[in-house]
Amino acid sequence: MKLVKNILSMSLVVLLSSCEKFLEVNPKESISDAVTIVDRTSAETAIRGVYSALASGDYYGTSFQSIGYLSGDNIQWTGSQSQVQEFINKKVNADNATISSAWVAIYRTINRANNVITKVANVTDPQLTQALKNQYIGEAYFIRALAYFDLARTWGGVPLITVPTVNPTDNVGLKRSTQAETYAQVLKDLEAAEPLLPATTDRFRATRKTVWALRARYHLYQKEWAKAEEYASKVITDVTNYRLLKPFSAFFANDARGTAESIFEIFYNGTTEVNSHRGQWQPQTNGGTRQWAPNDALVALLNDPTVGGNRSTLVAKDNQNRWYGNLYYRNPASDPSYIIRIAELYLIRAEALAQQSKLNEALVDLNLVRDRAGIAPSTAATKDNVLLAIENERRVEFALEPHRWFDIVRTGRANTVFGVTDANRLLLPIPVQQLLSDKSLEQNPGY
Amino acid sequence: MKGRLLTWVFMISIPIFTIAQTTPTINATLSGKIIDQRTKETLIGATVLIKGTTNGGTTDAEGEFFLKTGQKFPFTLVVSYIGYEPKETIITESNITIELDPDSKQLSEVVVVGYGSLERKNLIGSIAKIDPSETKTIQAGSFDAQLQGKVSGVQISSSTGVPGEVINIRVRGATSINADNDPLYVIDGVFINNNSLQTIGTGGKATSPISDLNPNDIESIEVLKDAEATALYGSRGANGVILISTKRGNFEQKPKVNFNASFGQAKATKLWELTTGPEHAQLVNEWWINTGKDTPSLNRTFANRPFRPVSEGGRGLPEEQQTYDRLGELFRTAKLANYDLSLTGGTKSTKYYIGGGFNNQEAIIKPITFQRASFKVNLDQKVNDNVQVGVSNTFTRTYRNQARAGDGPAGGLLQAALHTPTYLSPVNEQGVLVGRAGFDNLTLLLDNYNVNSTSLRYIGNLYADVQLLPNLKFRSSWGIDYNNYNESEYWNNLLISGSPNGLATSSITQFTTWLNEQTLQYRKKIGSQHSLGILVGNTLQSDLQTRTYAEGRGFANNQFTQISSAATTAGSQSWSKSNLASFFGKIDYAFDNKYLLDFSVRADGSSRFGNNRKWGYFPSVGVAWRAKQESFLRDVNWLSDLKIRSSVGITGNQNGIGDFASQGLWTGGASYQGNAGIAPQQLGNADLQWERTRQFNIGIDASIIESRIGFELNYYNKYTSNGLLQLALPAATGFSGYWSNAAEISNKGFEFVLNTVNIRKGSLSWTTSFNVAQNINKIEKLPNPLRYGSRDLILLQEGTPLYSFWVYKELGVSPETGNVIYDDVNKDGQITVADRQILGSIWPKFFGGLTNNFTYKGFDASLFFSFQYGNKIYNHNRFFGEGGGARDAARVILASNNDRWQKPGDITDTPRPDGVNVNNYRDGGSRWLEDGSFLRLRSLNLGYTLPKNTTKKVGIETLRVYLAGTNLWLLTKYTGLDPESSASSSQNQQGIDLGTPPQPLGVQVGINLSF
Repeated sequence: MKLVKNILSMSLVVLLSSCEKFLEVNPKESISDAVTIVDRTSAETAIRGVYSALASGDYYGTSFQSIGYLSGDNIQWTGSQSQVQEFINKKVNADNATISSAWVAIYRTINRANNVITKVANVTDPQLTQALKNQYIGEAYFIRALAYFDLARTWGGVPLITVPTVNPTDNVGLKRSTQAETYAQVLKDLEAAEPLLPATTDRFRATRKTVWALRARYHLYQKEWAKAEEYASKVITDVTNYRLLKPFSAFFANDARGTAESIFEIFYNGTTEVNSHRGQWQPQTNGGTRQWAPNDALVALLNDPTVGGNRSTLVAKDNQNRWYGNLYYRNPASDPSYIIRIAELYLIRAEALAQQSKLNEALVDLNLVRDRAGIAPSTAATKDNVLLAIENERRVEFALEPHRWFDIVRTGRANTVFGVTDANRLLLPIPVQQLLSDKSLEQNPGY
Repeated sequence: MKGRLLTWVFMISIPIFTIAQTTPTINATLSGKIIDQRTKETLIGATVLIKGTTNGGTTDAEGEFFLKTGQKFPFTLVVSYIGYEPKETIITESNITIELDPDSKQLSEVVVVGYGSLERKNLIGSIAKIDPSETKTIQAGSFDAQLQGKVSGVQISSSTGVPGEVINIRVRGATSINADNDPLYVIDGVFINNNSLQTIGTGGKATSPISDLNPNDIESIEVLKDAEATALYGSRGANGVILISTKRGNFEQKPKVNFNASFGQAKATKLWELTTGPEHAQLVNEWWINTGKDTPSLNRTFANRPFRPVSEGGRGLPEEQQTYDRLGELFRTAKLANYDLSLTGGTKSTKYYIGGGFNNQEAIIKPITFQRASFKVNLDQKVNDNVQVGVSNTFTRTYRNQARAGDGPAGGLLQAALHTPTYLSPVNEQGVLVGRAGFDNLTLLLDNYNVNSTSLRYIGNLYADVQLLPNLKFRSSWGIDYNNYNESEYWNNLLISGSPNGLATSSITQFTTWLNEQTLQYRKKIGSQHSLGILVGNTLQSDLQTRTYAEGRGFANNQFTQISSAATTAGSQSWSKSNLASFFGKIDYAFDNKYLLDFSVRADGSSRFGNNRKWGYFPSVGVAWRAKQESFLRDVNWLSDLKIRSSVGITGNQNGIGDFASQGLWTGGASYQGNAGIAPQQLGNADLQWERTRQFNIGIDASIIESRIGFELNYYNKYTSNGLLQLALPAATGFSGYWSNAAEISNKGFEFVLNTVNIRKGSLSWTTSFNVAQNINKIEKLPNPLRYGSRDLILLQEGTPLYSFWVYKELGVSPETGNVIYDDVNKDGQITVADRQILGSIWPKFFGGLTNNFTYKGFDASLFFSFQYGNKIYNHNRFFGEGGGARDAARVILASNNDRWQKPGDITDTPRPDGVNVNNYRDGGSRWLEDGSFLRLRSLNLGYTLPKNTTKKVGIETLRVYLAGTNLWLLTKYTGLDPESSASSSQNQQGIDLGTPPQPLGVQVGINLSF
């Protein structure tokens, strides 16, 4: 038997060489990962790939965003998938499919950013000027900062990965950092991005001003009120480029995109880049499933002329008299995903000012947002009341955007507002599949 | 016709007449008749010979013979006829009738094996042969679906009532997680594609490329099961091989025309039972009030219950609700028609088969249809004494009206018909048809469905056989499998998918396999006792799959349906290719017809694997001992045959993984702002290699009492290592996994076949064939558990079988509280993921079939049962439909929910209505996991063949009319419609029933005609 095997393998050696070429088949839709970012074109396309990850359906395309608003108190669920109900009930299980896909998508974005940060610096192509290099690397730092920010506020401390994965053994077995360490990484990346990026205005890609806007939010979450105020002001003062548009619907209705309201929004062309949000919100007559819909409380708030004002355009009725959310409505699905609007910066500054007990200045910012919605100025007088007014304003201003849950968690009011008594529920569980495939990960307490 | 036949008989008789010239004196004249012992039919052309002389003759058209002889009575007459046992009779007088026994088929049956054919008695491997004529009246779209229960150890699950959809075939279990578990299909030497080319979504289902084959063109089907049998197909043999031989002519055969026609109907025997409008409303009210009691802050009370008088702002009282039937609108009595026409024949150097067929089947749900037109030409030509060339050609066009009959809301027929609450009117206040509960309106859907596909398929083979030396034969062949699969959808603006202004898509997928093969075969008898065969060969194969896709959105109105008239259009393209090079060899040796031994090896190189590991080597060895041939058994009369055989070998698998699975890749599809972008796509693994299955088989074949009872017993043990797996990586790496060889799976089991001839008396015969098999599947090694299916209902983990159900175990409903008591596995006082456990799998404990065939004179009847015992099925319709009112207007409620707990003391399985998934109606609850065992009367056929004597007068050789029934009876505890239902065609998601149309009961009448 051995002899036969030997003879066979010997004759095979001869034949092998001619077969070698036959057995060499390479794809046409993809390229080898051995040669990826080598010149200006590949650097340029690689940074777009990072934005594409940010835009994906599991990140800002739908899933991650949905965690932010479903977990609040504005949305009801009409479908059958319990993963949605878990957010609404504030009882998210570790096997929830949405948190799993969001986790995967965020880290995919980080890996793409890491590729750009690591590889673009080493490219030698005269076409790729230092300014372009800085821009691309700066954008990658910004996106990585946003990704770690989202991870930190959703799950707490996470594994910090800053180099690209090239082999299956890379970046495996890293333990979770603390939430503070994760936030520190966010700040580090934002600080790295700021000088690299130009101070231009681009609402679809990161610039220095986008970094300022995210820093304002970052410092707000860190309760660094003066810093939050400072960075919010940096953007707010740029009134030529950023201002509150009237009416409220001006930033999204009638296929608007990239308006002066927007600091950073994600672009979708509707064909190769699809924002699948509309499918969840729109009723059947518009080709959606209306799986999640504004609840009675939100409908009442938005339709109250003294609370919602002209923000009532966020909801509409279908042919069976049911309310549906109408922020994402375009067909083909090219609705932008709104990440930072100028209204948020006014409200960030209002909150930061109020926290510093500068109540009058705080009310000025708050009332600008109220005025734009067509409602009367706030009558709040005490610090607590102003803060509550801001909180309530954010609820309706960002009714269908992913803020409510994170706002209530960061202000420590989840028990008061949502009735969440178990503090462990304020961080979501690490997806169970991740715990299974990575023994070094530890679950959050209480899950 | 008749005249030509006589010429034939005459020609065969010539040699005998010439021999019979020398008769000097006549001492006796003998006349007689030769008939079939069983059917009593006369045998034309049988040879009679007086023993010890050269005096003989043949029977004429009436089966009679006449001899004059110098012998005196008594003398011995030898009668022989092809296909019958020769018989010697002592003759004492004239005017006799001699009955001949048909040859017991089992012993002389010829079985097609890899690269050749063998008599069954010389078989070492485990191979089952199926005569497709037995199954082709079963109403199904493809021949493989018709084989259920016919082959021991081969589990076939139809999983749907839609003809021509992918079915699940498992030969001796399943060996892989992420590579394919389907057997290799070889038709006339061409390795054909059996992976669906469907790209449009029909709710988890896919069309089967196997249904492109017309069952009527098939001569025989062989299923190769063990390593000895499959090793020559080494790289692809791990899941068994199905060899299909199509019909060919015979040399020097007069032209023969065959015509078959059949017509039938089919319908569902059972539909889901739904709550009426009032019942639905009652449950919703009850749920509302219950949740109000549980959580007072919700402020849900009797006073503000949803179904309260309209005057109070409600939807009306429960008893005021209407009930709307949608299922009746969807289901129909389906029609079936099938026609086949063929011509076979041959001259001295040419033989041919020309066949055409047309099959039209409606599904039992509107608007699905399946239509196949096929054309077949097989031709063989002797060039000279040493060279023969031939071609096989199959052309098919398969057209389908398709619809989403599975999961998912948009366009879902069962969602619209089954999952929509019965109390909701199909029209709104303005009288306009509207979809309810997030689904399409059924009437609009049925009126406007426009999804279809056309598969054009050509399977061809061209070969040349050259007899180089008397014992040495060379064969070269080229094969092609080309499939052009053209799909289109048009969704107008009345349907969810088409809103607001219409959507059209068009997709053309082309799959081409080309194959070139050379074999050299040497066979020699050395002395009287040794027989030796050697085979060497090579194969080159290339598979290419391309797709072009276009879509258009925004149409001026519903009259415009072509993408060219859309406002916005988009397109895409894909390309994928793999190559395979193989070398193989086999040596077989037989000593004294008693001891058989063979050894084979195949080496395969695949372009899919890592640079370091492209080649795989697959050896096998088999032995057999024909014990009956030993002198000590030769005279044991009750034992007709006894053979013991065993084999061990290794086979491989690479199907189902991506063509570029081992390469590290970046994709170009990551665009942003409409500009191209690139991004990492997958991690490479240069060590990715063949999945290997080692299989041991030991079997015994025996028959007793003149071969009237025959049985076959096999034990096998398969162990798969280097299992191809998308091994999960921590997502923090940026990748969810990569292709690796990380899994190990075992399958072992028994197969038993029993064939008996119960009655063979006069023209009455009754035969029985029974088979049963057991397979024990186990995941031996898996680094991380994997979850599949809706709501992670299926878990794959080390130590349990593949496709195990992962559920929350319910211990029952508390009579006091009406709440479900869940099994708190970790005793932490709460029910979490940690409490999910495995309760059964899709694997039956045993399965098989029982066939009974009867013939009496011209009548024939067959009765065929298939069965399966011990498997589980998840009735997902019940999860959705037993929401206890919590889903309110969003989902139907099944009538079974009426049995819910209502007051303390109620004993029931159905709990008190409360919030969905909060407690009592939790996803993955075990009360919806049901026993999927069944016994099914798969087919019942009754036929009558008109007497030959009568039909011959009008030039017809055979005329048979028949009545065939499919799925006439079903015994099962499953509360759904069909225990074989599965919502998905995906291999890791079997056994979940969601909106699956059942296999229908079918009846058809038909006629077979040949002349």
